[in-house]
Amino acid sequence: MTALILLLVVAGSYLAAHVAFDWIARRYRIVSGAEYLVLGILLGPQLSGLLSPDTLTSLNPLITLALGWTGALLGSQLVLPVLVRIRGWVYRVAFVESLITLVLVTAVELFVLSWTVGLHARDSLVPALALGAMATVSAEAGISVAVRGRGPRDPLVRQFRVSVAMNAVVAILAFGLMTAIVHPAPTLITRAPTTTEWLVINVAIGLVGGALFHLFVGEERKPDRIFIAMVGAVVLISGAAAYLRLSPMIAALVFGMILTNTSRRSSELQAALARVERALYFVMLILAGALWTPSDREWLLPVVLFLGIRALAKTGGARLAARANGRLEELGPNWGRGLLGQGGLALLIGLNYLQRPDLPVSNIVFTAVVASVLLTDLLSARFAQSVFRPESTLAPKPGPAPGSDPTPEAPDEPASPALSGEGPAPAAERGT
Amino acid sequence: MRRLVILFLLLAGLRLILPLGDPGRGSQWLLTLGFLILAAYSVGEVAVGLNLPKVVGYLVGGMIFGPAGINQVTAEATAALEPVSSLAIALIAYLAGAELRWEEVRERWRDILRILTAELGLTLLLLTVLLTALGNRLPFLEGLDLISRIAVSLLFASIAVIHSPAVTMALLSETGARGPVARTTLGIVLVADVVVVILFTGALAIARVVAPPAAAGLGGPGLGTITWELGGAVLVGSVLGGVVALYLRFIHRELFLFAVLIAFAGVVLARLLHVEPLLMLITAGFVSENVSLPEDGDALRNAMERSADPVFVVFFALAGAAIDIDIIRQTLPLVVPIVVVRAVGLWAGTRLGSRWAGTPEIGRYVWTGLVAQAGVAIGLAKVAAQAYPDRGLQLQTIFLAVLGINQLVGPILFRRALARSKEAAADPVAVPAGAPGR
Repeated sequence: MTALILLLVVAGSYLAAHVAFDWIARRYRIVSGAEYLVLGILLGPQLSGLLSPDTLTSLNPLITLALGWTGALLGSQLVLPVLVRIRGWVYRVAFVESLITLVLVTAVELFVLSWTVGLHARDSLVPALALGAMATVSAEAGISVAVRGRGPRDPLVRQFRVSVAMNAVVAILAFGLMTAIVHPAPTLITRAPTTTEWLVINVAIGLVGGALFHLFVGEERKPDRIFIAMVGAVVLISGAAAYLRLSPMIAALVFGMILTNTSRRSSELQAALARVERALYFVMLILAGALWTPSDREWLLPVVLFLGIRALAKTGGARLAARANGRLEELGPNWGRGLLGQGGLALLIGLNYLQRPDLPVSNIVFTAVVASVLLTDLLSARFAQSVFRPESTLAPKPGPAPGSDPTPEAPDEPASPALSGEGPAPAAERGT
Repeated sequence: MRRLVILFLLLAGLRLILPLGDPGRGSQWLLTLGFLILAAYSVGEVAVGLNLPKVVGYLVGGMIFGPAGINQVTAEATAALEPVSSLAIALIAYLAGAELRWEEVRERWRDILRILTAELGLTLLLLTVLLTALGNRLPFLEGLDLISRIAVSLLFASIAVIHSPAVTMALLSETGARGPVARTTLGIVLVADVVVVILFTGALAIARVVAPPAAAGLGGPGLGTITWELGGAVLVGSVLGGVVALYLRFIHRELFLFAVLIAFAGVVLARLLHVEPLLMLITAGFVSENVSLPEDGDALRNAMERSADPVFVVFFALAGAAIDIDIIRQTLPLVVPIVVVRAVGLWAGTRLGSRWAGTPEIGRYVWTGLVAQAGVAIGLAKVAAQAYPDRGLQLQTIFLAVLGINQLVGPILFRRALARSKEAAADPVAVPAGAPGR
């Protein structure tokens, strides 16, 4: 019976999204995604109970696969020849903004969780860091709605795309670090690996997997064969990382990156990954909604502060980062608003946190991310649109500010799939 | 060779990380599934190098790494991955149904029925005679009088005549064959699935009257049950196919996700409504393909075909892992005559039937596509085992050994036949979707 219900959930949400929500999204500039989440909540154990906890538990491997798949897709978009053509300041701005958000949200939540929930400072570091990682993530869906009609070489468009990718990488690494720090000792060996060793193992799974897969696929050209091998490799790598209670996303990110940078068929590999990612993404949104449970502990303050501090960190951090790099006039003082959209990657990180029953206050962490996705999905397109006011984009291009990089823009900056938004970039488009 | 070396490196890597992990939460099944896909895929590529069908490679891959081989994929893992297998067979069944066009069925139905009647009838007869003659040598016939022996032999034969739509589809997909041999074989295989279920029900009813089980079994399905299982499957499948056609007509989005959902829906609906799942999905595929606008039907079928290759790998690798080599070895002296007589029955019956249908030229090849067995047959053998608790298990064991051999030999024969009949495309990938006959 539960399987039929799950089927109905998926089918219903699917129809809801593509028939009704498409129209609403076009009319009111609302980014699609939140409706799946709401439907999941409605049908989950908290409301209708149509999806039982047992059913949801049995779908754990699917969540793991989605984590790995998204990580691999994101990694496959990090094409080094394209990345090196982007100016250094673009990365600096993106990285500083990511770091400010991560540190600020982590610090505030560290304090708030110790105070409201009564966790020991060391224990609250884990959920605080997870919240920081989730806060760092920005969705590109709202940006994509806002930038329609603008070329990929528009400085703001390019900055958004790089920032979104940077945010995703920083968030995944931060969360992966957390899983390596808080790792239960294995029972079958005498000496448990240290945090550094776990982290190395996590990266090594992706590294070795990517290298072996590169050799495995070799000069294979047929998309169907590449797809089969890709499915097997991502399933294997995600399963290995999850089996070791490490982050499937880090392993898959490294895997995807190696793959795309060593293979002559990187576009085929990206297409193969993108083929499934969209379907997995919709299913994950529903599952995330169904898995949400309200906390019986003091959740209000941490969640509200998460939303508030994140918004502050994103807008303020973005402004600070632009100013520090002498690009404030070019990007505008409020360009960080475009990064407010939260998206699917944050939810996936939240789901990954939920998969670890040994981690504290998982309900609060997950509630924060669900609330953020619901809220920002509704508003992100409008926020992003506000950044692209005519006066800010049509103004003459300012010269480099004192102390900034005086090198003129390279004429061949990425007309590339991932970061220019011209190719298959579903992870970035909808979540990362 | 390179891939096999990498596979063994992966295997060594898996052995290294196993002690570090957490066996709960299902992640070890994901690990196993990933390895199985890569392993089966690699062995499939080796098979291609040896001029064998990939399907055989997938099966052998499953055998090598499964419980009968090095046990990297344990029996527990195989059982845990059963839902993946169900989903895979559902997709295959839907695709098989979608391959059939109404005009083609109308054009070929007489040929198909004639060949089917001849091959099923003759094979059933020959197998029944052989089993009756073997008598006490077969454990499940021990101690029975002649009439009872004939009845139980007929029961076994009614299961043993079944074919495998999954193998047929996999071979058509691999070779790109679209000619009369391929199309006729597919038609026969699909219709035979229905006919065999009816045959089996009749045979079981006769056996229960003539040779009542010593211990109280669960009983076989009654006429009403069978009628609903088959009729209901056609009915529900038609409705599902209609819904799919409506979806394609008015929404037509996210076809890949939708394709997977259809398969999932089919499995769940069949379980809930107690209808025959394969027939239901075949019907759904057939109805949606023939009711939809041609471009809509092609789009969905293409979306399904894009996911078909990994599905074939998973399905056949798991099927291979389930093959018990020990049983085959132990029962070989009994199994070989059954396999040979079945093949002779298929060959002679198809030749007779194709002459009757006036198409003797395809009769030379079609029988090879009927040798492989899978899916439904295992289910029927289980029903027989439940109905006859005292001797059904032995029947099931012998049957699984027969099936194991046919599953390996069948695809090889069919691929050779498709090549000889010049229906196999030189480069199957180059066969465009929506090409004539598709």
